[in-house]
Amino acid sequence: MLKVENLTFRYGRRSAPVLQGVNMELKAGEVGILLGKNGSGKTTLFKNILGICSPSGGRILFDGEQLLRIPLKKRAGKIAYVPQDVQFGALSVFDSVLLSRISRFGLAAGREDYEVVERVLADMQLLQYAARSVEKLSGGERQKVAIARALSQEPRLIIFDEPTGNLDIANEQLITEEARRLARERNIGILSSLHDLNQALSFGDRFFFMKDGVIKYSGGEEQFTEAVINDIFDSKVRIIEHEGEKIILGGNR
Amino acid sequence: MDEKSLYLKTKRKKVAVIAIMAAAVVVLAFICWFVGSSGMSLNEGLKALFGRGTVNNMRIIWNIRLPRVLAALIAGAGLSVSGLIMQTALNNSMASPSTLGVSNAAVFGANLSIIAFAGGFLSTGNNVNSYTVGANPYATSTMAFLFAVLSILLILGLCRIRTFSPNVVVLAGIAMGSVWTAGTTILQFYATDVGLSAAVIWNFGDLGRATYRTDLIMFAVVALGSLYFMLMSWRYNALLSGDATAKTLGINVGRLRFFSLLIASMITAVCVSFLGVIGFVGIICPHIVKKLMGQDHRYATPASMLSGSLLLLLADTLSRSIGSGSALPVGAITTLLGAPFFVSIIFSKRGASNAEG
Repeated sequence: MLKVENLTFRYGRRSAPVLQGVNMELKAGEVGILLGKNGSGKTTLFKNILGICSPSGGRILFDGEQLLRIPLKKRAGKIAYVPQDVQFGALSVFDSVLLSRISRFGLAAGREDYEVVERVLADMQLLQYAARSVEKLSGGERQKVAIARALSQEPRLIIFDEPTGNLDIANEQLITEEARRLARERNIGILSSLHDLNQALSFGDRFFFMKDGVIKYSGGEEQFTEAVINDIFDSKVRIIEHEGEKIILGGNR
Repeated sequence: MDEKSLYLKTKRKKVAVIAIMAAAVVVLAFICWFVGSSGMSLNEGLKALFGRGTVNNMRIIWNIRLPRVLAALIAGAGLSVSGLIMQTALNNSMASPSTLGVSNAAVFGANLSIIAFAGGFLSTGNNVNSYTVGANPYATSTMAFLFAVLSILLILGLCRIRTFSPNVVVLAGIAMGSVWTAGTTILQFYATDVGLSAAVIWNFGDLGRATYRTDLIMFAVVALGSLYFMLMSWRYNALLSGDATAKTLGINVGRLRFFSLLIASMITAVCVSFLGVIGFVGIICPHIVKKLMGQDHRYATPASMLSGSLLLLLADTLSRSIGSGSALPVGAITTLLGAPFFVSIIFSKRGASNAEG
């Protein structure tokens, strides 16, 4: 579904390139996890895929089409984005989520838009906040609203930038499970960055390890080896197996 | 009651508030029509309204007060809604209708017309006899408008070439505004006493300059602009989530920002050119509305317009009534009326809880 070919990007003509030839591929129905140190270029890669930044070189293909040639409005029906620092105005939760339908309804929301939003809010256990102003919610709740918004956009691909950063463990599970279910049931692609490696292991199908503006390793769970992770994060971790599951431990003990 | 009906109820409540504000504007406009410094009683006023009063009273009611009340309604709504849109489009709560230097440019244009061309192109140089009425009564307004538009186009043009980031627009606006102000200072330095006082008096906003024709022009611009703003309500709501998110929602952010700034500034340019500088309406009113009703532009846009009309109407009526014959500058009254209310709203509990996070 999503194919990135030799993507390069620099913020200014004279500044050093942030992306130095990224190649990756994600299939529909897959959860892809992007892993890497802070500043390795994850958010920049997302912004390129979303069309917020325009690449300096290379191609991004979506179902074989050049992504940046697809008009903005149509693109909004294909890819949704949940940013790292979620920002809303003083809107109600319901209206904030309804906003996701704007590329479909244009000037005023219709019955179908209301129905979709109601269903998504119910799925996300947010219906009890519908009338409340988003600004009065906690950070975690706001994160959930942002995710609800991406879901009701009904895209083919959802990009999450650190989706669980503000969430407690219950909400973290709710969101990762909801995302996995969506990927399976509706054949949606999910591309997410995460810092927690154990969470990444349980959430993802395919893993992209990013370092210095390139994807150095990619593949399934088998890629999670001490050597790979130590290389990517310049740190020391140990991997132990417990009942057939890998557990990643930090530190030297 | 479940949450969905609660949501629908808050929506209905907002519609009701807007309806009440609209009714208040109509009632107040009617009352202000019959209040002034002429000492006319309500009875005499009503007689004049139906064409049975004295000639003087009829002239006051139909030719002096009505155009003025209409100007307050139109300019108040226009300046207030422009302020709201500037604040949203530039993602800056300090933005005002004149952020692109519109008012300063208009003042420069008007001063140039008054000081250098004696207000009406009658002669070059300072002409004592023709400061107020020239050959063309609209010469000063036209000059003010031309310079305001020049300022808008310069800034939007510059930003179109380089970047359209909100902060750059705001800073460019401040710089451009200062240039016009410096120009005005130099003009005033070379002006004669009479020219200087005429110029300074022009700078005080005055709704008394309004005529039916200027009202009609202002109405056309404000109505068309507001229509655009209302159609774009959802897009402005999307803009509240930041440029990046708005883009991924399918909004052409650059285009929306360009047209919003252009239209809001044009509305301001027309109002300021005809009436002089009326400050603060465009900052106070949208903020009060946002604090009390939230930022949803489907409601904030009409509510800002109505609150702007209310404030300017009230301020103008006061300025006509307490000045004992000569109206005080309405801009000063607007601020004196609005600022305390504004401060009380920002420091109130309700305001504080809304501003959290």
